[in-house]
Amino acid sequence: MITILLFLPVLLGVVVLLSSKREITRIALLLVPAVYLIIVICIWSGINWIILPGWLNIYFSFDPIGIYFLAVMTVVFSASSIYSLFYFKEHNVSPQKEAAYTVTNFLFAASMAGVILSTHLALMWVFVEATTLSSALLIYFERKKSSLEAAWKYIYICSIGISLAFVGIIFLSIGSKPVGSLFFSDLYKHASQINPFWLLISFVFVFVGFGTKVGVAPIHAWLPDAHSEAPSPISAMLSGTLLNTAFLGLIRYQEIMVSAHQEYFSNSLFLITGFLSLLISAVFMLQVKNYKRMLAYSSIENMGILFIGIALGKLGIFAAMILLVAHSFSKTSLFLTSGNILHLYKTKKIENVNGLLKKDSLTGWLWIISLLSISGMPPFPSFIAKFLIIKAMFTMNLGWLAVPFFILLAVIIYGMGGSVFKMSFGESNFDGTNSKLNFSAYAGQIIILVLLLIIGTNIPDMILNIIKNAAGFLN
Amino acid sequence: MSNVIIILLGTTMLYVFAASRIEAYVKTLALQGIFLFLLVILDINGLSWLNIAFLVLETLIIKGIIIPYFLLNVIRKNEIGREVEPYLSQFYSLLIGSAIFIFGFVAAFWSSKIEAGIKPLYFGVSLVLIIASLFLIVNRKRIITHILCYMMLENGIFLLSLSVANEMPMLVNVGVLLDLFVGVYLFAIFFNKIQSMFDGNHIDILTDLKD
Repeated sequence: MITILLFLPVLLGVVVLLSSKREITRIALLLVPAVYLIIVICIWSGINWIILPGWLNIYFSFDPIGIYFLAVMTVVFSASSIYSLFYFKEHNVSPQKEAAYTVTNFLFAASMAGVILSTHLALMWVFVEATTLSSALLIYFERKKSSLEAAWKYIYICSIGISLAFVGIIFLSIGSKPVGSLFFSDLYKHASQINPFWLLISFVFVFVGFGTKVGVAPIHAWLPDAHSEAPSPISAMLSGTLLNTAFLGLIRYQEIMVSAHQEYFSNSLFLITGFLSLLISAVFMLQVKNYKRMLAYSSIENMGILFIGIALGKLGIFAAMILLVAHSFSKTSLFLTSGNILHLYKTKKIENVNGLLKKDSLTGWLWIISLLSISGMPPFPSFIAKFLIIKAMFTMNLGWLAVPFFILLAVIIYGMGGSVFKMSFGESNFDGTNSKLNFSAYAGQIIILVLLLIIGTNIPDMILNIIKNAAGFLN
Repeated sequence: MSNVIIILLGTTMLYVFAASRIEAYVKTLALQGIFLFLLVILDINGLSWLNIAFLVLETLIIKGIIIPYFLLNVIRKNEIGREVEPYLSQFYSLLIGSAIFIFGFVAAFWSSKIEAGIKPLYFGVSLVLIIASLFLIVNRKRIITHILCYMMLENGIFLLSLSVANEMPMLVNVGVLLDLFVGVYLFAIFFNKIQSMFDGNHIDILTDLKD
């Protein structure tokens, strides 16, 4: 199965590249997420089979938290692929460019699957860097001046950050000489033998490196640019899955810190950067003029809350796991819908968009409902997650943290809600033509929002178990 | 012998601080690749032939020849000016460079005292390479110098990994090298595009996206 997850996209990519026919490209584009979905469901229900070669099983495996992240990634990947069909049509993309898009998207997805499944710290690093390289091409897909600038900043800042993470990994290998390997399982088992000095130094480096990819303040500079300039389905992938995979790297590292009883240090770093991210996104949310950038700042905010959750013990980690799926799904829906808005109004400026509900009511409602979902209104799971995080603050005797947490969240919701409602209501300032979009412009968002409603209102045991298992990873 | 090479490797960094022409940077890069190759060759006992072949490919062929040659081509094709254009003047750069060197040697001295398993001089000089290239990235205006300094940073990290006796699995080494190679290739593509689209190659021109 792992073989299929990692090699099928590459193989189909070669086929697509060689044929460059529209039909084959599109079939492949839908086939890969479908296969991913089938594999996730199989693993979930306990079916696993192994195809050659066997040595892959040393380096890659499914663990509870990995399955959870893979499931979230697969849903986002599927929704983004469905939407890509609409994107191709609306932008009159040539067959060659469609093929190039599909191939890089496959490499991007395969490298993210690699990050999630790796069992070796340095191998995971290799795949994190591979995600940067493959997605940089996708950010530059529209071949505009601004997207070039965004792609350059993205690839350069993230490469430097990731290089620093590798320095951290080397420091860890100095400190973990008694352990003698960098496989996660060995590191967890013998964490107490790791020299604490080298462990702390390496944590700082890895934190900065992977934190750059996660996009938390103050190392978030690339994130708003890249998210706003990429094609909308790619923005959804970046925000909904790429940030998560880098975050998974930090969670796995945090587990080493916890096993070595150094979690006090890492928790403080997580808390400080988490609140700093909230502050930065609150400040920018009030003055941002571009709605895709607004969504990007909201990603920084949610990643900040995830960091806060990780630092708050068992309950906080459980809350973070719920927030993870809530954020990924709502943000995917928001970014895909922002693609509809961009198509309808041909502008990314908030001030030039009015009367979305009149122009295209389904897009308008998706836009509003996704906003309610991301801002944590019941019955969406984001509400439960934020509630649990505040509860966790009180159980950890850090109740005073709830005050700045509430204030910053309120500012962010005020800024974001104001912009979204301004765009949705009012008279449409364009001609009355009610431009119809085809079904693939809505399908992904609707499926995702229904899934979120199910998770938020009456969570099936199957999903609850997988979240619990994932949260039980850190203890 | 290897200590001499390490010191020479460190001095290449000082040369970069003082150099004012971009081609000097590329030549330094090639020189660093060759020094790394010599270091690997002098210390091969106990490695399998596959590992040796890989290390030779990585240091001599890729770091020493292909990447510098490739970047030199990019520079010539784009007819960019020859000056590196620092923000700080040469004098202060050298001053800071010397400070980084002192720090590196202090680190080497200190690391020789703690637990065994690190080669002190490797450790100190690799820190010099890493910190110095990070400083150069911040202090240079041209985008091409950013790519060159990124490669020097990677050389520093390679030296750091040599200073640790723990071996990474082959799969990881291959992956790291592949990432580096594709990374530099993409950097060059984007650099070419920036040169033609923005009509310039200063970092100051990339200011369209902001809030």
